[in-house]
Amino acid sequence: MKKHPMLKYLKEQGPQGDRLPLIMCPGCGSGQVLNFIFMAIDHLINEQGYQKDNFVFISGVGCHARLTSHYLNFDSGWTIHGRTLPIATGALLANPELHPVVITGDGDTGAIGGNHFIHACRRNLDLTIVCLNNKLYGMTGGQSSPTTLNGETTSTNPYGNFEADFDLCELAKTAGATYVARWTTAHPTKSVKAILKGLENRGTSFIEILSQCPTHFKQSPSQMIREYKEKTVRLEKMQEDDAGKIPIGEFQDMRKPDWSSSYRKIVQSVQNKTIQD
Amino acid sequence: MTQDIKFIQGNEVCVEAALYAGLDFFAGYPITPSSEIAEHMAVRLPGIGGKFLQMEDEISSICAITGASLTGHKAMTATSGPGFSLMQEALGYAIMTEIPCVITNVQRGGPSTGLPTHGSQGDVNQARWGTHGDHAIIALTASNHQDLFQITVEAFNLAETYRTPVILLLDEMLGHMREKLIIPKVDEIPVVKRLRTAVPDGVDFHPYLPREDGRLPMSDFGDKHRYNVTGLYHDMWGFPTSDPQVIHGLIHHLMDKIENRVEQLTRYKEYFLEDAEVILISYGSSARSALHIVKNRRKRGERLGLLELQTLWPFPAGLVRRKTRQADFVAVVEMNMGQIVDEVKKVVDQHKRVFLVNRVDGGFITPENIKDMIRLIQGRGV
Ligand SMILES: Cc1ncc(C[n+]2csc(CCOP(=O)(O)OP(=O)(O)O)c2C)c(N)n1
Ligand SMILES: [Mg+2]
Repeated sequence: MKKHPMLKYLKEQGPQGDRLPLIMCPGCGSGQVLNFIFMAIDHLINEQGYQKDNFVFISGVGCHARLTSHYLNFDSGWTIHGRTLPIATGALLANPELHPVVITGDGDTGAIGGNHFIHACRRNLDLTIVCLNNKLYGMTGGQSSPTTLNGETTSTNPYGNFEADFDLCELAKTAGATYVARWTTAHPTKSVKAILKGLENRGTSFIEILSQCPTHFKQSPSQMIREYKEKTVRLEKMQEDDAGKIPIGEFQDMRKPDWSSSYRKIVQSVQNKTIQD
Repeated sequence: MTQDIKFIQGNEVCVEAALYAGLDFFAGYPITPSSEIAEHMAVRLPGIGGKFLQMEDEISSICAITGASLTGHKAMTATSGPGFSLMQEALGYAIMTEIPCVITNVQRGGPSTGLPTHGSQGDVNQARWGTHGDHAIIALTASNHQDLFQITVEAFNLAETYRTPVILLLDEMLGHMREKLIIPKVDEIPVVKRLRTAVPDGVDFHPYLPREDGRLPMSDFGDKHRYNVTGLYHDMWGFPTSDPQVIHGLIHHLMDKIENRVEQLTRYKEYFLEDAEVILISYGSSARSALHIVKNRRKRGERLGLLELQTLWPFPAGLVRRKTRQADFVAVVEMNMGQIVDEVKKVVDQHKRVFLVNRVDGGFITPENIKDMIRLIQGRGV
C-alpha cells in the first residue's frame, strides 16, 4: 500500500511499538488539522528551501496538544495548559531562526492563556499559532469554553450556556496580529493556504480552524463537517441576514516589523554607541 | 593588574554574576524588591547581543526562560513572593523536563502582598515545596555581595550540571544594600557550559538517558536531533509513558540526582565552630547579624560559633549534624516563623537543644536582637 505522503513527518514507530494511529477519538478533527500543517510545511521545505530542523512545535494541554506528544518527527514541546505562547516566545526570541508552530485550543488560548495570547499578538512575534477550536474542553470531558455558543448545552452548562462567546480572530486582530484567518476542517485547501501564509508572515499569525468534536457534541462527524459548510459565511460576502452565521476567511493581512527585527535595531544602536564611547 | 571594584546593590551583583556565568536571556515582570534585576538586565543585555524581555506576568516570565533554555541559552528570571507563587506550576514543568534555568526570588514579607519593601526569609519552604508533586530542588543563598556573585555563578553551573532549575534566594535587605564588590577576573570562577550530545545526525538521541556520570546531554531546539519534551512522565526519548517501571525510574531519577548528591551541592561558611558551646546557624542577610554577634562575643571570651548555610536545599543534613555535635545548644537565626529550624531539629542529635531566633515584624534582625534571645535561652535574662 502506498504510504500517506505526510507520514514522513511523523514517528510511526517507537520503542514500545507502533505510535500510530493517533490517540484521538474516531472522527476528531485534530488529525485533519495536523495534516494541513504538514502540507504547508512540506511546501515550504520543498519549494522554498526552509530547513526542517528550524520548525519547532509547541503546544499546551488539551486534546489538540496531544498532536505534539507522541508522533512528531520535529523538535516539540508539549508544555502546560495555557502557557504555550510564552514558552514559544522564549524559544523564538532566543533563537530567531526557528519557525515555531504553536498548536493551541479554544480553552488553552481563549481562557487560561488569554492574556498571553493578547500580548503575543501585541508584540507581533514571528510565531504561527494554529488554534483548533472545537468550542469546548475536549480533554476534560466536554465542559464549556470561551467559544461555546450561547444556548449550547455542555457538561458545565447543563441548562444551556448563557454567557457570550469570544471571537478569537477579532481578538487577535485587535491585539495586533498581522495575519489572522478562520477556516474549518471542511475547508482543507483554504486551511493549508492560510497556515502557509501564516508561516511566511514575519509576525504573529493566528489561524483558527473550527475542528469537530463528535464525541462530546454527540453528533456524527460528517454531519458536523456539513454544518461547517452550511453555517459559515465568507467574511467579504457577509450580509445582514447572515447574522448567526460564523464568518470565515482572512481577518487581517498586513506587514509590520516583528519583535526580533525591532529589537535588533536597539541592539545595533546600543552597540554602535558603545563603540563611539 | 587593577581590580574591577564596584559599589553596587545586591540586585545588580546578581545581574553582573549572571552575565559572568553566560546568561544571555532574561524575561521578567517588575516587582519590589527585585525590579532592579530586570532594570539592569534591560540596560546590559542589548550591548552583548542578549535578549531582555518584559513579559505580561511571572507565569509567562518563567515559561519564556524555559523556552529559551531549550534552544541552548542560559536564562534567568527574577521576582519576589507574589510572583514566585505564580511561577510554581512552570517550575514543576522545568523540574520534570529537566530544563536548566535560574529563578531568583528577592524575598519580601508575606503572605499575599505582605511587606513589599521589607526583608523576609519567608519563602524558604516555598522554594522547597511550592510546586506540586514529589520533587527535589536546589536553592542557594548568600549574605554579602562577594559571596552573592560566587553563588549566582554557581547557581547557573549547578543548573547546567544537573539539568534542573535552581532557585536563588535573596532578600530585600541584600538586594537593595550597597557594598563593595570586586568583579572576579575571567576564568577566576569556573563556568559550566551547556553539555550537548555528541550523537551524530541520524542516530537516535535520548534526551533522558543519563550518562555514566549521571549527566544528561541536551540538544538545542533547532539542532539536527529530534527532541521531544513533555511534562508527563516520559521515557528516555521524551515520549509520554504510563509504564509503571519507567515512571518509577523517572521519579527516582529526579529525586536522586539531587538528594543523593547533598555533599557535592552543599556550600557553606563557618566561623569559630571548633570549640563553640553555642552555635548559630543562619543564612542570607540574617547571617550578617549572626556573624557580627559571634565576633563580638568572642572578644569577650564567650564561645559562640556560626555555621552559615549557602545551600538551603537539598538541606545539608550531614554537615549540620557533624558541626553541631559538640555544642551545648544551637540557635537558628532566620527572618521567618521557623523554616530552617525545623530541618535542623530533624537532624541534630538532641532536638530539644535547638532554638529559633527570629524576627518577623518587617525590621531587619539585628545583632542586639540575637544577643537578647541568646541570653534568654541561656537563662541569663535580657
Ligand atoms: C492549570 C491547569 N488547569 C486545568 C487543567 C485541566 N485541563 C486540561 S485540558 C483542559 C481544557 C482544554 O481545552 P482546549 O484548550 O479547548 O483543548 P481541547 O481539549 O478542547 O482540544 C483543561 C481545563 C490543566 N491541565 N492545567
Ligand atoms: Mg477545545
